[in-house]
Amino acid sequence: MIFAHMKFFSKIKYPILKAIDVSGLTFLSPVVRLCYGEEPRVQMKKISQWILIPICAIILFIFLWAYGSTVVKTKSGSVPGPLETLKAGESISKFGNYEKAKEEAYTLTGPERDEALKKAQARLGKMDPIVKAATDQVGGAKAQYAEVIKKRTSGMTSRRDALKKSYSANQSARKASLAALADTLTPGNETAYENFMKEVKDHTDKTDLEKEELATLAKEIKEIEDEKSDDVAKALFAQTRAAEERQFLQKQIDQLTTQNKGLKIETAQAKIQEDARVLLTLTGPEAVKAAGKIAKARSRLVKTEESVYAGPKTLGYQIKRSILCVFAGFLIGAFIAIPIGILCGLNSTFMAAMTPFIAIFKPVSPIVWLPICLIIASAVVPSPDDSAFMDWLWEDAWILNHYDINPAFIASAITVALCSLWATLANTALGVASIDKDHLNVARVLKLGFWPRLFKIVIPSALPLIFAGLRISLGVGWMVLIAAELLSSSEGIGKFVWDQFNNGASDSFAKLFVVVFVVGIIGLLLDRIMIVFQRLVSFEGSPTAI
Amino acid sequence: MSSLELMPDPAALRRSVEISNLIKEYPNPYGEDFRVVENFNLNIREGEFISLIGHSGCGKSTVLTMLAGLNEISGGGIIVGNKEIDSPGPDRAVVFQSPCLMPWMNSFQNVMLGVKNVYPHATKAERRQIVEHSLAVVGLADSMKKYPAEMSGGMQQRVGIARAIALQPKVLLLDEPFGRLDSLTRMELQDVIIEILAREKLTAMIVTHDVDEAVFMADRCVMMSNGPKAGVGEILGIDFARPRNREVVYQDPKFFEYREHLLAFLEQRAHLKSSTRVFSDGDTMGYTDKKGLELESHATSKATSVA
Repeated sequence: MIFAHMKFFSKIKYPILKAIDVSGLTFLSPVVRLCYGEEPRVQMKKISQWILIPICAIILFIFLWAYGSTVVKTKSGSVPGPLETLKAGESISKFGNYEKAKEEAYTLTGPERDEALKKAQARLGKMDPIVKAATDQVGGAKAQYAEVIKKRTSGMTSRRDALKKSYSANQSARKASLAALADTLTPGNETAYENFMKEVKDHTDKTDLEKEELATLAKEIKEIEDEKSDDVAKALFAQTRAAEERQFLQKQIDQLTTQNKGLKIETAQAKIQEDARVLLTLTGPEAVKAAGKIAKARSRLVKTEESVYAGPKTLGYQIKRSILCVFAGFLIGAFIAIPIGILCGLNSTFMAAMTPFIAIFKPVSPIVWLPICLIIASAVVPSPDDSAFMDWLWEDAWILNHYDINPAFIASAITVALCSLWATLANTALGVASIDKDHLNVARVLKLGFWPRLFKIVIPSALPLIFAGLRISLGVGWMVLIAAELLSSSEGIGKFVWDQFNNGASDSFAKLFVVVFVVGIIGLLLDRIMIVFQRLVSFEGSPTAI
Repeated sequence: MSSLELMPDPAALRRSVEISNLIKEYPNPYGEDFRVVENFNLNIREGEFISLIGHSGCGKSTVLTMLAGLNEISGGGIIVGNKEIDSPGPDRAVVFQSPCLMPWMNSFQNVMLGVKNVYPHATKAERRQIVEHSLAVVGLADSMKKYPAEMSGGMQQRVGIARAIALQPKVLLLDEPFGRLDSLTRMELQDVIIEILAREKLTAMIVTHDVDEAVFMADRCVMMSNGPKAGVGEILGIDFARPRNREVVYQDPKFFEYREHLLAFLEQRAHLKSSTRVFSDGDTMGYTDKKGLELESHATSKATSVA
């Protein structure tokens, strides 16, 4: 409707629709068609089916989640609801920003450093009253809530006290009457004794009942007292935030002053110069001692110059390292699986030779592969000090130098490869084996040699299935990777999960929920990327994924 | 016989096809091997166009694919240009029933696929020229960059023909090449083939179900007896001048005679299947529609040649 009459827009209509189709975002195409006024009623129906219904489902899910989270109580507190999860996500991203700022602060020099310092100090000056206000707020909220609780429980407490009093009175009365009854007993009179026994049992039963009643009441009171107030929680949250920010500012100022790289270098250089000047005046053993000191200071200076900010890893870094690791494993797997798959598809003898290995290794769990890979990788992968290649990987390699390619990383990547290559292998073999016989006949008539036949006919016709396999492999690899990282303590999302699991902070549980969404969304994006590749290599009538 | 006939032109000898005592058997796990074709004998002169016609399943395509080298020969032999064949090769180009184009290549690339192999010493420009010429001959000069999915069935089959003729084969083999096309497209492509053959003087063989096509296109019609153990039933010489003009040929009374003859042969064979009666020559059953050709063959005894 909007675009239908404009020449430019009508020209790009089909390219847009084609792009949507290739990227697999087909739910968008009715929106585009509606914008062009194409069968509005049909498009509205499609939009409501493919956009509105999913949105409603998501909203429904959020409500169910919010309700469900209040029902289940665990040792780590109640299950985080959508709001807590959102807050945990916010706090993760805040932590990331703080770390980034600190890292920047470490390397700042000159006027930039001064300016940042001034800013941080100004903010820190404002922080104290904010923190104090937040603490007061928490105190106030707690006191207020205690009032509320007291009011709510006062009726119950007084009833409990009254009951306690009356029950103890009852009990002593019963005890007295029992004692009196005991005195009247004549030995040998069985009925009297039986009667007495009954009375005693009656008394203990009643006492138990009364105790139980009191206990129930006490529990009810305790439950009310234990109830968490939203106001208190909010105040506590604000207090934590403020405290965190103040701590961050202090640390940032440290990075800008005492810890600052530029300053450290400057002081060290000044000290060396000073010492050098002194050295010129010295002779004999003193000169040896002074010169040795200078040499040591110089080597320390070199280390300082090379140093980088050493802070805790942020989730952002861990996500990037996980993605790097999954692609490393995925590529290793693809380089193994595609050639073997092609050979299996081409040659049934080779397939027969490979079948036992495929059958045995395919079901092996990543949990088994990982320790094996870890042991081998630790033995085989040299440390950066011993190997020029590893040194290059750690210091100079483009992008990779930020991610510490250690044995744990390599073991995780190989585990991903070992677990994910089977889908690619099977699909490649199937794609090559199920190539159209007519196409092979054409190749025979044209007398194509092995390589042209492979590259012009066999591989292109198997490509859609190969990519379908790669897509499955990447999905499997992503799932395997998180577990592998968790077990190998390789910096990544898995490590983050492990850290949160072991750390008892109040929002660790909620942070695990955040990871669920992070992992899910990244997995979805990886899948989308592979779908685009798969569509790009597909042709009309090409075999589809399995 | 004159001495000239005893020593034929070497060029003609190089290009001719000689099929002798050709046998095709398929293994049968429950008895003797299943013999589809037995003692098929045929000599094709250089530049001759043979049409092979017979009932469905009688082994027409089997003979053609054996000649192409795509199907193993169980007995007898085929000589093409003085050499016994044992594998497929670009000297015997095949146009398949389905166009068999690579969907990931455009027309130009599809034709170029074989050209690179057949002319290993040609320069890039020369190869290009060959491909462009072949595509122009089949009327696709404007569609070189089109992919199979963007073309109609008829256009795709044209690319298939271009791919075959670009190889400059000794023999052109057409395996029901128009079977999946509508009758108008079919006629267009028949004309394309006739034109190419007239120009290039190729030896060619077409397997077809269509009696009109068999008569209109060929110099000789080879009628196959029913399988199993099918062989050459009868050979009918078609005496029309070349290049052939559809209107002229279709109005020639001889055309109808040939047609009647073919149909009679086929009709006879159809009856043979059920009754195993042997008809003598001339005992024709008159005109039948083409449906008769589609009958499945389950004859129990070998049909004897009528001629």
